[in-house]
Amino acid sequence: MDASRLRDSFSKIVMHGDEVPLFFYSDLFIKHPEVRDLFPISMKAQREHLIGALGQIVAQVDRVDDLGAFLQGLGRDHRKFGAIAAHYDAVGDSLLATLEHFAGDTWTPEIGADWTDAYRMVSGAMMAAAQADEALGPAFWQATVISCERKAFDICVLQVRTEPRLDFLPGQSVAIESAHRPRLWRYYSIANAPRQDGTLDFHVRLIDGGAVSIALAYGQAVGDSLRLGPPVGVLTLDTTSRRDILMVAGSTGLAPLKAITQQVSELAEPPHVHLFFCAKAADGLYDLPSLEKMAAENHWLTVVPVVTADRRSDGGKGILPDVVTRTGNWSGHDAYLAGPTEMVREMSARLVAGGTPRERIHVEDFGWSEP
Amino acid sequence: MTLAWQQDQKRVTPDDVQAVTFPVTRLGRRGYDEEHVREFLREVERELVTLANEKISLWNEVERLRKRIISGMKQGDGVLFGREDAHVHAVRILSNAQLTADRYVADAQAYSHKLTAEARTRRDEILLAAQQHADMVLEEAQSRARQAALATLDAPAGQSLETDRSALKAELAYLRTFGEVYRTHLRAYTEGMLRSIAEWERNEAGAIAQATADARNQIDPGRH
Repeated sequence: MDASRLRDSFSKIVMHGDEVPLFFYSDLFIKHPEVRDLFPISMKAQREHLIGALGQIVAQVDRVDDLGAFLQGLGRDHRKFGAIAAHYDAVGDSLLATLEHFAGDTWTPEIGADWTDAYRMVSGAMMAAAQADEALGPAFWQATVISCERKAFDICVLQVRTEPRLDFLPGQSVAIESAHRPRLWRYYSIANAPRQDGTLDFHVRLIDGGAVSIALAYGQAVGDSLRLGPPVGVLTLDTTSRRDILMVAGSTGLAPLKAITQQVSELAEPPHVHLFFCAKAADGLYDLPSLEKMAAENHWLTVVPVVTADRRSDGGKGILPDVVTRTGNWSGHDAYLAGPTEMVREMSARLVAGGTPRERIHVEDFGWSEP
Repeated sequence: MTLAWQQDQKRVTPDDVQAVTFPVTRLGRRGYDEEHVREFLREVERELVTLANEKISLWNEVERLRKRIISGMKQGDGVLFGREDAHVHAVRILSNAQLTADRYVADAQAYSHKLTAEARTRRDEILLAAQQHADMVLEEAQSRARQAALATLDAPAGQSLETDRSALKAELAYLRTFGEVYRTHLRAYTEGMLRSIAEWERNEAGAIAQATADARNQIDPGRH
């Protein structure tokens, strides 16, 4: 396989833009109509993902070690979408047909062989990861809604029970598919540490125009079923550390941090946890009563509510990083941050500037994985 | 005989059917009735002619459509040049259908975004107005309470205060009356005592004078 020839071929093909993935999926669905059902109605996001993934694969095709983790994740991810081994051949056929179509006169048997080799490597790694994953757990978990509690006009806490039991680490997330939005999966953090009864909490914030969040925040009733993907995520407690902990949660970013706080409460000697819970307006501090109750029962926990844009609130006013850095010196703490991407990035930068080592700042990183 | 249509076998034409002959059985009149066989073969011949005609007209139709598709594509955006065939055409049709579906979903999503965003703005406005109203009501209640407290200090106006006050007034009036009566009594008593003392003094003085005179008379009786 000639990597530079492959990259050259891809760069020419990709100039056709959206036409390329559009052709690919139509070709696939005509040759294998049964596959259509594995995809959502709108394919726009899907096409972007395909080109993104192809781009990454082509860029790293000669560095299999770097690519390995990406492909394994991709392979595991595709289990919950219902992908099986037979689909990989179908996809390979349509991919080759698409590439040949757009390459036009520049297509040669050698380039065809490059692509065939590359796809064999990619699909092999994905299928191997998917197969290895089968031994570890199901492709997805069937979940039933036990309760949905509206905490604010745009925030709902869903409690579900899964079948079978879903094991996870506090702070991890799962992809959720609602029956109201088939084939659309979105990641949500589990908002509790593992419980005896196996139930899971999710904090769902309504995103304006968000296809899945509307269905989850307003469309679910007790007894409705959801599908959950396997637990993923690296925002988990560093159990080897004995340092005190700083947590900064923006809105429903509270969910993973609440789960970790519950895990801390089960430790023999809990470190001190300083939890900043931040929202734009006071009514966005949807879970404050439960946090304050926890703080009252646990001397090692301090909860600080922060409101960034409310004319009525005087306490903790201002930009979140200012409030946090004004409150104390966090250079000796482990930090756990979750919330809007922008908030997490700013907070992280401020903590590093304040002397907290970067490796002690824990944030979630989903990579491309959002399906 | 068979009427097979496989490519590698000899094709049966209406002429074949027309020309076919069957050997007559040796035992005279046993076997097929010749007239019935002839009648059937005439039917087969008619059927084959019809099929052949249909085939030709279908083939012409396919050619006509193929030409139309290719010329239609050449007038299009030209991305699919050179490799036009039925499959590519199907891909194109499906792609267009997919784009239409994408557009519908995107429109619905944009509409829902607009609705929720507007609802959020409206809610914030309503909340703000309600908060301002609540602030006003609170402020007014506070100022009224302040006024009431001040008024109480000057002249109590409350119902229970009034009751207390009249009870106190009655008690005060009683005490004042009692004091007056008592003072009058005391004054009368005191005056009475003073009068008695003066009388006693007067009597005492008279008695002493009498006793002194009596004593003088008894000591010197002849002086009368």
